[in-house]
Order: sequence, then structure tokens, then C-alpha cells
Amino acid sequence: MTRKNHIWMVGLLVIFVWIVAAYAQSPGFKENIYPVGKLKPRDSVLKVKVGDLAPDFTLPAVRGGEITLSQYRGRKNVVISFVPAAWTPVCSDQWPGYNIAKEYFDQSNAILLGITVDNIPTLYAWTNQMCMGGGTLWFPVLSDFYPHGAVAKKFGILRSDGVAERALFVIDKKGIIRYIDVHDINTRPRLEVLVGELQKLEK
Amino acid sequence: MNELYRAIQSNKDLKNKIKLIGIGSGNSDFEVNFFRKKYEIPFPLFSDEDYSIHKTLGEVRTPYFIGVRLKSDGSSEVFYSKRGGFKDANKFLKMMVKLSGL
Repeated sequence: MTRKNHIWMVGLLVIFVWIVAAYAQSPGFKENIYPVGKLKPRDSVLKVKVGDLAPDFTLPAVRGGEITLSQYRGRKNVVISFVPAAWTPVCSDQWPGYNIAKEYFDQSNAILLGITVDNIPTLYAWTNQMCMGGGTLWFPVLSDFYPHGAVAKKFGILRSDGVAERALFVIDKKGIIRYIDVHDINTRPRLEVLVGELQKLEK
Repeated sequence: MNELYRAIQSNKDLKNKIKLIGIGSGNSDFEVNFFRKKYEIPFPLFSDEDYSIHKTLGEVRTPYFIGVRLKSDGSSEVFYSKRGGFKDANKFLKMMVKLSGL
């Protein structure tokens, strides 16, 4: 222990600053995130509302094949998470957060579909970096790249610059939209709000 | 991080002298509590939902470590402030002890 001017060091405090979602990410992931700055919080007009039948769509998945929303009808509740773009700050924390919170989706018999307007190779590179040690996300990631943003447009969440809003849609097993959150693009939706909505659904 | 905590706790010379805390930048209480349970984090974690602590620290990019000397007159002094994690908890602990002069 050092002594200086009769003042003793009595101990140390080690402070670890982190983000919950970033815990399991590849170490280099954050180095490659493009700083987008502050954007207009919302830049689109919704075309659907709670109680509507969700517009059906088919999109290619990063892991191969295609996924159609209605394939879950009668089987699973669905959460659709649109995020604006790969390799951008908030999006790069949001999906890793859902990745470690799988049990909340399982408890509500829900699948999560992650969608951006990026193409498959970009989404492949980006999502691979979200899981340390070569793991993969547990949920399908879909590309709404071509025709550009067509599904985002169907829901009314395609922004004027061609990226999607940061939006969550909770759709029940009958295909009915039960919750919509077109979030401020600059901030991440709270996990507890989505968990609360999931818990309202019939399994 | 759990390994670092265990390395501190298993060393009788250090366990009452080094405290470890975590700050979840931009995370809510719910998110931090979920994380604590899921990863069985044994040391105190705090949420910083509005990024106020994060801003005070200079909006550091995470993960980030800060080492603080605690002094007998109640004052404190930062001796380590650096971005990046570590692979070997024991090596990291040794480095912290050496740099701090504990």
C-alpha cells in the first residue's frame, strides 16, 4: 500500500462499462460500425394498424431459402423487427439483445423475424459478427433488398431515404397485428415493453 | 468478468480491497436484471438507462474499464481508463494491482 502525505490507499474500485447486448459479440464488431449521427425520429406513414391482418410476404433468409409470414399461421406468434440498416449503431445492439433473450420468445411460443433492406451478403457479414465464437443468431434474418424495401413499404415504414424504420410488429397466431412500435430511429426499444406484449398473447 | 470477480475473491490479500461494479450503458433495470440472472453475475450491476453515467465518463465506447484508487481521506483517483476487454482475468488483475500500486 502506498503512502503519500499521510493519505493511504484503502482499496481499488474497478468499473466495467458495457452494453447488455454487446456481451457476446465479436471483439472487432464495434470497430466497423458506421456512425450515422442523429436522424429524423420517424419518416414514414404507417399503412397498417393493430387489429389488421398482417400483410403477407415472402423474403429470402440469410441462412438460405425463403420465409413466408403466413407459414407461421396457426403455429406460432411472430415478432417482426425491422431495423434501418446493417453496420449502424443502434441496430447493432438491438438484435444481439434479442439473441440473448430467446427464452422470452420461447415462453410465448413466438418466432422473431429480423428484417432490413440490406442485401444477403451484407446481412451475412453483419450478423456473423453479432455472435462471438462462430455462433449464429437463433432467429431468421430476412433481406428486403429487392424489390427494394417492398415489405417495409407494405407496412408503411419505408423512410424517404430508402431504409426501414426501427419498427416492431407483434402478430398473433391468427396473423392479426397485436402491437406496433414505430420507434424513434435513434433509440433502442426497451426489452421489457416487448416482453410485456409477448406475455399478452395466447401461446 | 465473473472470472475476474472470482480471481479477486479467491485472493485473501485482495478480496477486501478491490470492488468490482458494472454499468449497463443505455440499458434499463429490466435488461440489466435479465443479464445478471442469465450470466449469473455475482458483482453489483447498475443500469444507466438515460446514458447519464456514460456521458459523464466521456461517452466511451464499450466495453470500457476504469480503475480507481480509493484513499483514506475519502478521495479517489483514476489510475486506469481504457477501452477493450481482456482474455485472461488473472493477468488483467495483476496489471491493475501493479498500475495502482496496491
